[in-house]
Amino acid sequence: MPPFSQSTPISNGFSLNHNKFNQTNHQPSTNAITIDVGGQLFQTTKQTLTLAGSKTLFSNLFDSCDQDNNGVPFIDRDPELFSILLSLLRTGNLPSKAKAFDIQDIIFEAKFYGINDLLVESQSNPSQFEPFDLEKSIILPLSGRDSPSAIATTPNGSLHVSHGSKITSFDWSLQKKSTTLTNFTAIDSLLALSPNIVAAGATDFSGLQILDLDLGFVRQTLNWENVTKSSSTVQAIGISPEFLFTSFESGRRNSNSIMVYDLKDDFKLVSEIARNEIFGADLDSAIPSTKLNWVPSVNLLMASGSHSGPFGVSGNIKFWDIRSGRAVWEIKENVDCFSDITVSDALLAVFKIGVNSGEVSYIDLRNLGSNNSWNCLGDTRKVNNGKKEGFGCKIESHGNQVFCGKKGELELWSEVLMGSLNNEKDRIFRKNVLGRVKDLGGNRITNVGFGGNKMFVTRKDQQCVEVWQSSGKRF
Amino acid sequence: MEDGLSNITLTDRIKLNVGGKLFETTISTLRSGGPDSLLAALSNRQVQSSNPVFIDRDPEIFSVLLSLLRTNRLPSTSRRFTDQELSDEASYYGIESQLKSAMLPNPLSGIDASVIATIRPASDGVVSAFTTIDDGSVWIAHGGQISVYDWNLTHAGTVRTHLDSITSIRQVTPSAMAAIACDVASGIHFYNFANGRRVGSVEWTDPTDPRIYKARVTAIADSPDSVFAAFDSHHKENSVLAIDKSTLQVTSEIGRQSGNSSKSIVPGNLTYVNDLGILAANAVTSGAFGFSGYIRLWDPRSARVVWETNEPGSGRSSRFGDSFADVSIDVSEGTMCKICSKSGDLAMADLRKLSDDPWVYLRDTNPSLRNTSGGINNSIVHCYRKQVFVGRDGGLEVWSRVAQNGENNMEIAEESFRRNYMDKLEDSERGIIKKIEGGGERLFVSREEAEGLEVWQSSVFSGAVLVS
Repeated sequence: MPPFSQSTPISNGFSLNHNKFNQTNHQPSTNAITIDVGGQLFQTTKQTLTLAGSKTLFSNLFDSCDQDNNGVPFIDRDPELFSILLSLLRTGNLPSKAKAFDIQDIIFEAKFYGINDLLVESQSNPSQFEPFDLEKSIILPLSGRDSPSAIATTPNGSLHVSHGSKITSFDWSLQKKSTTLTNFTAIDSLLALSPNIVAAGATDFSGLQILDLDLGFVRQTLNWENVTKSSSTVQAIGISPEFLFTSFESGRRNSNSIMVYDLKDDFKLVSEIARNEIFGADLDSAIPSTKLNWVPSVNLLMASGSHSGPFGVSGNIKFWDIRSGRAVWEIKENVDCFSDITVSDALLAVFKIGVNSGEVSYIDLRNLGSNNSWNCLGDTRKVNNGKKEGFGCKIESHGNQVFCGKKGELELWSEVLMGSLNNEKDRIFRKNVLGRVKDLGGNRITNVGFGGNKMFVTRKDQQCVEVWQSSGKRF
Repeated sequence: MEDGLSNITLTDRIKLNVGGKLFETTISTLRSGGPDSLLAALSNRQVQSSNPVFIDRDPEIFSVLLSLLRTNRLPSTSRRFTDQELSDEASYYGIESQLKSAMLPNPLSGIDASVIATIRPASDGVVSAFTTIDDGSVWIAHGGQISVYDWNLTHAGTVRTHLDSITSIRQVTPSAMAAIACDVASGIHFYNFANGRRVGSVEWTDPTDPRIYKARVTAIADSPDSVFAAFDSHHKENSVLAIDKSTLQVTSEIGRQSGNSSKSIVPGNLTYVNDLGILAANAVTSGAFGFSGYIRLWDPRSARVVWETNEPGSGRSSRFGDSFADVSIDVSEGTMCKICSKSGDLAMADLRKLSDDPWVYLRDTNPSLRNTSGGINNSIVHCYRKQVFVGRDGGLEVWSRVAQNGENNMEIAEESFRRNYMDKLEDSERGIIKKIEGGGERLFVSREEAEGLEVWQSSVFSGAVLVS
């Protein structure tokens, strides 16, 4: 966002009247503005300062700040930090000299001037995510002896990690943290609603809690009750721009349901879908959804769950229309059921890791409802092996990519677009193993999340979070 | 606008020339360091805008302190200087209190704390006793020496005492005087840090009883006007003496007892609870039949026992044989905690509502901590800042209260605390925890046979490690 003006003779950020420095510069017609910050003089244009947005310190600088005799407004702050933030206003980026300072200093100063959003935009923007340039760059240690159980991210790259009964939150710069104690003994599902509000649930604790992490207590507890009024545990949480979805299972495990809450209206109950009461031996209805993914382009909620029984793992994947409350499409999983599943809105495909084969398969969503079957991207012969190679694997989609954690390794799947040959039947996906040799291996991956320009990875028995990002984007 | 300088307003700008570098700021910023500071004095001078005030000091360190005055926080550039340099320079400008509050650690939260330093005295590094002061400084007894580490954890001085080992130490508030004692030499001794001298000593004597001779002190407590010391004679006869702070003379004898059973042995711990005006003592012995001991509360003025419990022998029958291994009193909260020797359970009691069985046994649901109490020989408990810190052999854990919807519900219930480890497994291998004590926003931990004193502190910094 270069601050070009339309009418006045300004180009390349230079103003022509800079030599009239000693005269009164504060004229409505001139665009150049002189500010005195901590004894150092800066010249810039009104356009640059208005980029900071209204209601910031700059917008009313010339009204409120005291001015000395020649009309130069004075700000009693550090001039060096100001020069960095002025560069940020001018170019939208931090200059390299900012690296001489701690990011915390710059954040604090940006908050003073009211341009913190601009700083976050320049430093931790989802559009700066470079999937092919990810490398393990930061380790975030967690206190205590509990390993992370769930993670939640926000679009600007702040992170919440649950470990034991605690949630540790890291700000977008990953330099600051705070830890909140919860009522849970362990948190299995965690979702960030805003940088300081999270929804948390557990498979051994009744109710979904909306936690305010700034204040450190529960704002609201959302419960679902079946006819027996027993407790209800949370199996999965999902989110769409309007709704919060929660998959509940009753404490006696004889019924389950997905509740839809209004995000905009204080979590008011909107509807209940996919309610199952279990009578007899109907195994299929006994499976609660353990993953909820919203697919914006088709306006459907993908709910999936699986069950491990004596005859192997079986499961189902259903696509729900929230308004009608009906399942639009269902995939039954009997052979090589998913061990983890995800849906990519950008690629319009469902991806799974087969629990037997350990291979990635996909179903095209572009012609939803037709008799689709899984396209295996690996060795199809392994579908029937009994080794459960895919057990414990994780799969998540982000942007145009699908990330897959197999044991200790991270795979990145991306679609290869073959020009005119691109017909629907044969989509081509190729895999990369992420990381350099030194980053490979490690304990089994338990969580993969994305926020800002970063990817977060947790591993079994490791009391830390790995941060993967592009080397050039590191502050 | 003071002293007739009506032409100065707080928003007036002032130019400073510090060591050749020009700074410009406002009068109000300079005065925020307090009215007595050098900078505030400078700001009262008649300002000629053309003539900056010259200060012959280092400009870089001044820019750090100016940032501190402007923002109330230390910029990262302060890391170029040691804490000592910063505090020296701040005291030159008279803005020490500002620096102190900016360098203050975050509120102590056990679930978020880590070891930030280990204080290691240069000689005789094994810490035999220590006492903490409210501002986060600590007095360490090691060998026959007492070393003082100030709020910054910088070594402020060492005094060599006449004792060869010190097993009890307590600050005689509010002076810079320490009361020290040793469990093999008699008496309690008072040392003044200002000049490093012994100010006085108190021995327990009884003209009517010749057995009271060369009694040793096992515990010391401090109240606003007296020092309490538990004396133990060689014939096990024991008593708590109240010693007047100003005269250093014994004023009264509290709870004299024979010491011939576990219910009348000398207390190993004395605590004075200022809010309630009571003196608490507890003693624990362990023998072939397990632990036994007592907790006793006195009104020190009347020397009357207010409440007492003996274990085994009182409390609920299901807990028989599960006597406490350690007791701690949270002086500011008015609560008392005990840790059971056999089950490892933690129980809490409200000092204001004491009854025959006041204990609430806290339930712990953290599955990763289940079955950790077996085989533990050394349990230490310390209540501080509404949390309970427990050392089990080498492991350090914390019980913290779960916030309940913003209500300030301070009632003790079985479920109101959560138990978490503070340390990692490798931390616990440094040695058996001997003593835990909170001071300021810090927690100090000493370990058996280990040199130095661990300092635990909560931090907002994530401690992110760059992977190269």
